[in-house]
Amino acid sequence: MQTNFSPDQLRDPELAESNTILRTCVHCGFCTATCPTFVLLGDELDSPRGRIYLIKDMLESGGPATEPVVRHVDRCLSCLSCMTTCPSGVHYMHLVDHARTHIENTYRRPLPERVLRSVLALVLPRPWLMRLALLGAGVARPFRSLLPGKGMMAQRLRALLALAPRRLPPPSAAQSPQVHRAEGKRRGRVALLTGCAQQVLAPEINEATIRLLTRLGIEVVIPRGMGCCGALTHHMGKHEPAMAAARANLAAWSAEAEGEGLDAVIINTSGCGTTVKDYGFMFRAEPEPWRGRAERISALAMDVSEYLSRIGYAPTRPAPALTVAYHAACSLQHGQKITVEPKALLRRAGFTVVEPAEGHLCCGSAGTYNMMQPAIATRLRERKLANLAARRPDLVAAGNIGCITQLSGGDFPLVHTIELLDWMAGGPAPASLGPLLAARAA
Amino acid sequence: MIALPEPKAEVLARRDDIVAGLRALLPADAVIAEPERLRPYETDGLTAYRQIPLAVALPSTTDEVAAVMAFCHREGVRVVPRGAGTSLSGGALPLADAIVIGLMRLNRILSVDYADRVAVVQAGVTNIGITQRVQEEGFFYAPDPSSQLACMIGGNVNMNSGGAHCLKYGVTANNLLGLRIVTVEGEIVEIGGAHLDAAGYDWLGLLTGSEGQLAIVTEVTVRILRSPEGARAMLAGFRANEVAGACVDAIISSGIIPVALEFMDRPAIHACEAFAHAGYPLDAEALLIIEVEGSVEEQDRLLGQIRTICERFDPVSLRVAQTAEESAAIWKGRKGAFGAVGRISPDYLCMDGTIPTSRLPEVLGRIGAMSREYGLQVANIFHAGDGNLHPLIMFDANDPASMHKAECFGADILKLCVEVGGCLTGEHGVGVEKRDLMDVQFTPTELDQQRRIKSAFDPGWLLNPHKVFPLAAAAA
Amino acid sequence: MSVLAPESEAELAASIRSAWEAGEPLAIQGNGSKGAMLRPVQAARTLSTRALSGISLYAPNELILEAGAGTPLATVEAAVAAAGQQIIAEPPDLSALLGASSVQTIGGVVAANLSGPRRVAAGAMRDHLLGIRAVNGTGEVIRSGGRVLKNVTGLDLCKLLAGSHGTLGVLSAVTIKVLPAAESAGTLVLGGLDPARAVAALSAALGSPYGVSGAAFLPAAAAARVPALAGLGASATLVRIEEFAVSVAYRTARLRDDLARFGRADLLDDPASRAVWRAVRDVVPLAGGSGETVWRVSVRPSSGPAVLEAAEAAGGCGMLDWGGGLVWITAPTAAAEAVMAGARAAGGTWMLMRAPETLRAVLPVVPPEPPALARLTRAVKAAFDPKGILNPGRVFAGV
Repeated sequence: MQTNFSPDQLRDPELAESNTILRTCVHCGFCTATCPTFVLLGDELDSPRGRIYLIKDMLESGGPATEPVVRHVDRCLSCLSCMTTCPSGVHYMHLVDHARTHIENTYRRPLPERVLRSVLALVLPRPWLMRLALLGAGVARPFRSLLPGKGMMAQRLRALLALAPRRLPPPSAAQSPQVHRAEGKRRGRVALLTGCAQQVLAPEINEATIRLLTRLGIEVVIPRGMGCCGALTHHMGKHEPAMAAARANLAAWSAEAEGEGLDAVIINTSGCGTTVKDYGFMFRAEPEPWRGRAERISALAMDVSEYLSRIGYAPTRPAPALTVAYHAACSLQHGQKITVEPKALLRRAGFTVVEPAEGHLCCGSAGTYNMMQPAIATRLRERKLANLAARRPDLVAAGNIGCITQLSGGDFPLVHTIELLDWMAGGPAPASLGPLLAARAA
Repeated sequence: MIALPEPKAEVLARRDDIVAGLRALLPADAVIAEPERLRPYETDGLTAYRQIPLAVALPSTTDEVAAVMAFCHREGVRVVPRGAGTSLSGGALPLADAIVIGLMRLNRILSVDYADRVAVVQAGVTNIGITQRVQEEGFFYAPDPSSQLACMIGGNVNMNSGGAHCLKYGVTANNLLGLRIVTVEGEIVEIGGAHLDAAGYDWLGLLTGSEGQLAIVTEVTVRILRSPEGARAMLAGFRANEVAGACVDAIISSGIIPVALEFMDRPAIHACEAFAHAGYPLDAEALLIIEVEGSVEEQDRLLGQIRTICERFDPVSLRVAQTAEESAAIWKGRKGAFGAVGRISPDYLCMDGTIPTSRLPEVLGRIGAMSREYGLQVANIFHAGDGNLHPLIMFDANDPASMHKAECFGADILKLCVEVGGCLTGEHGVGVEKRDLMDVQFTPTELDQQRRIKSAFDPGWLLNPHKVFPLAAAAA
Repeated sequence: MSVLAPESEAELAASIRSAWEAGEPLAIQGNGSKGAMLRPVQAARTLSTRALSGISLYAPNELILEAGAGTPLATVEAAVAAAGQQIIAEPPDLSALLGASSVQTIGGVVAANLSGPRRVAAGAMRDHLLGIRAVNGTGEVIRSGGRVLKNVTGLDLCKLLAGSHGTLGVLSAVTIKVLPAAESAGTLVLGGLDPARAVAALSAALGSPYGVSGAAFLPAAAAARVPALAGLGASATLVRIEEFAVSVAYRTARLRDDLARFGRADLLDDPASRAVWRAVRDVVPLAGGSGETVWRVSVRPSSGPAVLEAAEAAGGCGMLDWGGGLVWITAPTAAAEAVMAGARAAGGTWMLMRAPETLRAVLPVVPPEPPALARLTRAVKAAFDPKGILNPGRVFAGV
């Protein structure tokens, strides 16, 4: 596609990168069809192609972002379904990331929105703050319908409270910095990203990961100094906080990699995985040692399902007759192009695996999207739940805490894939399956 | 460069009133009028031509379409219908004094009847959406343009879209039973129904492929077909385009009509393989994708016969897909071919002429010569079974000279198609792109005849103006 | 009535031009084999295309054939058969049904868009019409389409003129797509089903993956008039497969199993199949019957039985083709209202194929169009034939 950047503009490496991406797009429109917001809203402006055009205009003009552009870019889930569809290989993720940074730097949002975004950016990546906030939300949750107003802000606050879990699990000691030794002969050594929101909301995911990996002979390191991957702030266009978070992780992992050595950096929250795998790109213009570290760490980053497929997984007990609907998290299927492994592992574990129609469509979780765009997120959630229910599963498995939170409260329990794999290989049954298994036993 | 008519100043002057009028008819989010938000609507799949419309209307029902049309008719405002905006001929190119009516929100499948093998769908349902809806019952909607993932049935009807499988199953026109249209006056009219061959003039046939010149299509009754027991594709790579062309001829002459017979030359093979990883032979100069249908035994027998024919032409490689996944990958490469060319060139123009199949080797040779003459690369992808060529001319839109050369090259290819007994467009439509070449194929008398039909439907020439008919003819 | 039979397209154009100048209506025909159809045309002179005869291009490898409009259909059929090919839409020979003694032309078949049993699977005559040459009502030569298999350049006048019964232009030549003829045919026959059950069986067959190319139902009386089916002594439900011989054997066997719930099907071999489907194609079971009128009703297939029953209740009889969607009816004059009401109730369409001239002049021979379409009909007619000299009133009075 034709672009109109001045030679001066193209000397800016960020703009040059975006220009290259824009030039790859041939405006064929394939991406529109698999974009969740286009499917729902039926407007070119809410499709990847429309956003690419808006972003192109915004960047070419060089001026500050304007409300119409912000509105449509904000509606993008960053699910990256468009990148799976695109025959031309347009790197939409990098383009929209650039646009979000430009918006953050040049556009003044209304005050309540600025406050909300700042609070989310502050709280979500910090487990202790998150825990505190959730305890508060737990108190406020029953009163959410009393929140006045029909405006976007009121909707957002109600959505926030609705997402807060009814009960918060106790903190898990397994997630604090330490080395989990391999059982038997050590076959490998990995670092585990314990995440931020996930370790508060669902520590059982990390616990299952550690149990299963150590049982398979893998030493699992929880390095000191590691924290949020940076995705949450990155997707809000808050460049510096995102880089700072990434730097902390790079330092922690590089110390291990350059010390006793690492075979992989394991990530069991696919949203984070997409970002860690992109560190190499994020740090492409940074000075050494960061640039080199980022490249090496990105190359080491693996989703836990990827890693298990590589080292081999086998169940140790017969599976109960359960039909598992596999919900493909966008960050896994589109962001990391991991589509086969989780299903193959679940089948290997002995489950019957089914997939919903429109599996490529996002469930609406998308990081903080369900808090910032509750109306669209709710429609996507309902659509996803209906598609899942149509397959009549006993339970749903997904590889991303965001999706699990977003889809909970439906007619079936949700678990992380790793919890099922751990269960079939000697671990405990996932707690959330309690009622289902009790009903089965009765 | 193709000239666009001067916008009517008096319409532009009434912009605010016209927008207000639309807002009175449609919900708030269904009218777009801010310049910034109009820009992404300025073009479709043919980005060489761009024009920001006066406004965009996004109706959600036929009644809303009718209300907008009646309003525009009353106000003398021109209208450009748009579906997914995937036209490769600029069929949805706006005009500065025209309203774009986007039909994307009419995206429901209204009914499916398996006993009578018909489905009624709104214009904004995607082509593949129909098949996805009926495939669990073993049915499919046959026409399968490469953009089927995104393109909408309303656009398919207006362009009479084809696809890779129309050698056996026909094009859009052959798979329709009825339409619901809105006339330029805003009247809702039903054409045909769930039965075959309505009496009276063949409105269905005339409207199909009419490129939005005659009416707005809001609902379509399509035939759905039961899928065959199975289908399998095979890849045959050859040392030269001419050899592959001769092989196509030999297959057709043998009495076997494969369900699809597709051709790619070397640049296309490489671009598609990079996208689809389908195992296309990278050492071949030309590749045929040949697909057959039936039971496994029937497929084996037909593929065996075709293999024997291919072997007479000293193939570089012969490979039969062993699984459904392999077949799917082969087709993914072919269907993403145009976009995949985006990997090797920033821009392309996709030609769509049809030629008598017997002239294939000669025409490919001459396109090659032109490519050298113009200094522009070309990737050839086409439906070999029916002679429908898709030469993709690669150029750089940021370089005006390159763009001008590409346009001239494209025109030369199309003139060549007509010269050897073919036509300007096999399935993409004339649109704005080939408008000024119409007199290469038609006499003034013939164009006048078509123009009079247009006038019968749209006396004020408000519908999708400046397309199909050369401007002089349109103004006459 | 004098007959003009120009021997070239230029002569044809000249004839029409002078008629246009004089404002003199012309009755348009090939050999006049379809004179019994539709409304009678009031014209002092008849213009025939019979002298524009001959195959001008036949390229079997390219699957195309071009012929003068006046070429006898049989000539075309013989030429393609010699190359192992066939006309895809399987056009019928209705001369017995229509009481005509002349042979029909390819132009006539196209102008009437007549298709046979294969239409249900493979499309109508208009679907395989690649190109036309015609002369409009002012004597201008108009081409549309061409000689290639895929063509969307400009408005599709081929389809508009196919089925326009000579009211928009006079065809001088047509180009059609042809395909290799199947190696073999086989037919499953289910005996004794009632029409609703039969259409259910035909729907199941057409909804199967076996590529059924013919699906018809003959009530007992009609079946009795087809030699290969007379032995049934009951209604005949027919399902045809046309394929390579091994595939015919395989597919009919599978279909027979799939249709077992409708009864035990007999299998007709290749020669018997061909004979039976020729009879269905040409509506032989209803030809020469005592009915005064012949109707062709097109409805959604599941409505076919109701249309047939309505006609039978009014004293007519009939048969179904196209899986139930095409209802051929022969009936007394008095049944006309009942037949039309049946078609209307089913949301379908009809065409009066044969009737006394007095009746054809007053009955709607096809359903009247709603006002918006009727306006378009007149406007499009005027766009081709401003003085209304080509077959005036052939389909609609005053058009």
